[in-house]
Amino acid sequence: MAKTVAFVLLRLIATLFAVTFLTFLMVALLPGDPVDTILGTGPRAPGIEEQIREDLNLDDPFFVRYFAWLGDAVTGDLGTSYITDQPVADTIQSRLPVTAQLAFMSIFIAVVIAIPVGVLGAYKQGKWADTVTSSAAQVALSIPNFIFGIFLIWLFAVQLNWLPASNWNRFSEGVLDNLKTSILPAMSLALAQMALFSRLVRSDMIATLRENYILSARAKGLSDRYILFRHALRPSSLSLMTIVGIAFGGLLGGTVIVESLFAVPGLGFSLIAAINGRDILVIQGITVFIAAMFVIINTVVDLLYAVLDPRIRRK
Amino acid sequence: MRQRRVVTALAIPLVLAFVAASCGSDDSSSDTDTGGDTTEATTETETDDDTETDTTEAASAPEEVVTSVAEETESAVFGGSITIGLESEATGLRPWEDSCSSPCYHVMRSIYDPLMEQIGEGGYGPFLAESLESNEDFTVWTMTLRPDVTFHNGTPLTAQTIADMFPLQQAGAAGSSVIASANLVGVAAIDELTVEYTLDAPTVAFPATLASGPVGFPFDPAAAAADSAGYSTNPIGTGPFVMSSRDIDNETIVERNPDYWNVDANGDQLPYLDSISFRPIPDEGTRLDALLSGTTNAMMSLRQGTIRDARGASGIELIEFQGNNTGGGMYNTSIPPFDDVRVRSGLSRMNDQERVIEALGGTGISLPTTQWFSADNVWWTQEAADAYQSFDFEAGKALLQEYIDDPARSDGKAPGEKIDVELSCPPDPTLIAAMQVIEQVWTGSEQVNVTLTQFDQATHINNAVSDTHRAHCWRWGSEGDPSASINPFVAPSADSVANFPNFDDPEMLAWALEASATDDFERRKELYSNIMVRINEQAITWYSGGTAVMIAHEPGIRGFNSWTLPDGTLGVGIAPEAQARWFQVFISE
Repeated sequence: MAKTVAFVLLRLIATLFAVTFLTFLMVALLPGDPVDTILGTGPRAPGIEEQIREDLNLDDPFFVRYFAWLGDAVTGDLGTSYITDQPVADTIQSRLPVTAQLAFMSIFIAVVIAIPVGVLGAYKQGKWADTVTSSAAQVALSIPNFIFGIFLIWLFAVQLNWLPASNWNRFSEGVLDNLKTSILPAMSLALAQMALFSRLVRSDMIATLRENYILSARAKGLSDRYILFRHALRPSSLSLMTIVGIAFGGLLGGTVIVESLFAVPGLGFSLIAAINGRDILVIQGITVFIAAMFVIINTVVDLLYAVLDPRIRRK
Repeated sequence: MRQRRVVTALAIPLVLAFVAASCGSDDSSSDTDTGGDTTEATTETETDDDTETDTTEAASAPEEVVTSVAEETESAVFGGSITIGLESEATGLRPWEDSCSSPCYHVMRSIYDPLMEQIGEGGYGPFLAESLESNEDFTVWTMTLRPDVTFHNGTPLTAQTIADMFPLQQAGAAGSSVIASANLVGVAAIDELTVEYTLDAPTVAFPATLASGPVGFPFDPAAAAADSAGYSTNPIGTGPFVMSSRDIDNETIVERNPDYWNVDANGDQLPYLDSISFRPIPDEGTRLDALLSGTTNAMMSLRQGTIRDARGASGIELIEFQGNNTGGGMYNTSIPPFDDVRVRSGLSRMNDQERVIEALGGTGISLPTTQWFSADNVWWTQEAADAYQSFDFEAGKALLQEYIDDPARSDGKAPGEKIDVELSCPPDPTLIAAMQVIEQVWTGSEQVNVTLTQFDQATHINNAVSDTHRAHCWRWGSEGDPSASINPFVAPSADSVANFPNFDDPEMLAWALEASATDDFERRKELYSNIMVRINEQAITWYSGGTAVMIAHEPGIRGFNSWTLPDGTLGVGIAPEAQARWFQVFISE
């Protein structure tokens, strides 16, 4: 087990290093001069371009800039935005709870709906209930989340007037108020996840239901519900758990469009604004943070997987 | 609880005029989201009695759509709050430092007052200033400040405040640019309320500089110097509202300034509203849905597609404005084949304006343009309109053929070979549609190989600034004095990033410089008309239409289009670019 942990952690460090390097490289390769973006198209005071270049170390060689930035980043200093003058770490700190909440809520909604739907599909394999749930999942998978979001806004905000169409009430303003603004974007994000999860549960459950111990349980006269949820669900959930972990990590960076659609002040919203404004340090900071979270979450999932499944631990 | 106050009674539709029948009620439009935004707050020191206001009537706006400024007819009501959806967040609220676009100015104008302000009839009038006068050659301007004005923190606004602001403005990213273009080199406090501005070149348009955020919005220099970054999130101005809370990218709330100096026509202290909530909602559809669902009470938009949708919605009211911000494209004349006027003219002749406007979704919303000024503007001239190379496919083909057959053609290709053209726009759906219309016509001539490219807005602008562009979507114009936008455009390309086409013409530059040094309006108009004529004759640019903008709101919200300067002069409504002045906005009963 110790070996497994050590290997996973080593891989984590290597991956994080690669992530920071590639992110830095991609930002450096963005077309256009960030100084031009900052100064715009108006007349320029003498020396101001040089001043900005110096402030952002733009004239230093790539590797000098990268290692200087990396050295600061490992101490938690991701720099200060040249556009807003705010520390990047503060920006991430204030945006992360919003995006994390959205990711949690969408995963929660997806899992809560996907498990019974998946179990039902497996239990009724080949029958109309399976056909309906499978078809619905297929449809859900093919609908982009922002299209579903637009539909939700139209239905719940414009037509029914039940929920606000945009923006975000923070938890400090009350849980109910917070839920009012978070439920629609969370549902938008949950749709595809739900479809994916239910398909996964269904296929794993079908395989599990063919196992000898399930036949044995049936022979003992246990009820179908008991067999499904007590004996079949847990072994059928390992793939789901992995995918949920990956999905959560993915959602931290995958909420960009939905956050923009619903004007939710999360990491994605900030990232888009930073890209539009060529706010280099913010782009780097948020991208690396999202990537790092994704890698870390997957590492944790890998470790948990090993804990839960003795076969993997033994390998 | 709200108190009623009578504001004004008379409805005097000032303005408007124009939009001549020739512009028609059929199709017209604008370019919603072209490349760069060169619109700047500028100056206009003279007025033209023949014309009236910058506000214009859209071609076929429904009757219920307000398109002109007019004195308020309803009784103002004190109290209430408004939530408005903006197209983006204000990245910073330091006028001297942070670049500010239209949505940002919504917030800034609630916190700060301008020294000068644009008036509906053209030109500028004093706001925080009481008077502004120049010497004979427009190199020294003397401003007298209004007495008894204090900042939100209680610090009095004095001449010394203005002088102390200057070093910060010189060092600021936003301020330094405006200072450079205004030729401003010194600011001195003469006495308690008298400020002297010294310029190193005649600048008749200087009043516009004092209406601009970077130089014209007073801030507390001591507080700004002590904590510049903190000032961005907790700004201190003299304006009608004070910062209450700022949740960046989500909601900024300002509350009534109880010590505000400005009063309405009845002598009642402004502002009328208790508070305003500004919410950035970047998605145009969501912003409109937020208004329709009651999530917000008002919204702004710079996109004609949204205006079209809003016109079709029920339960809301619209205020539209179509000014000098015209869309279209330009050529980089330093790169073959665009260095040859035959190619530029030929391609421009194949710009089917009506179809482009239709593709942009602006039919019936905005008007075709022939110059940097809309047809109702004081600076518009028939001479420039006549010089515009409007759509004529055969004439365009003939010009291109002449170039193609020229053995000395500048692109180095053999005679008879097709011309290679790269046309670039930002990846906005309507722009792509418009670009495809142009491509179809150019390609249809069988004389041109067209490559379409798309870059995000920042890269698109960078390409123009760094001179790597070819044929390039763009937009031009300003609601203020032409000098702010035209002079940098015609300045030597080696010195001016704003000479995007890299077209160096000493005569145009001389006209621009002369126009900055005289206050003879007719002469200035003639000089700028000469420049517009030259731009059209040389086909440096091509046009689609004027950019329509709007503020849409729930019924009962008043004052966006009827605010007045302290002396009672009617202001410019929501110009430029759907910017609200919040101090006289109210919710009627």
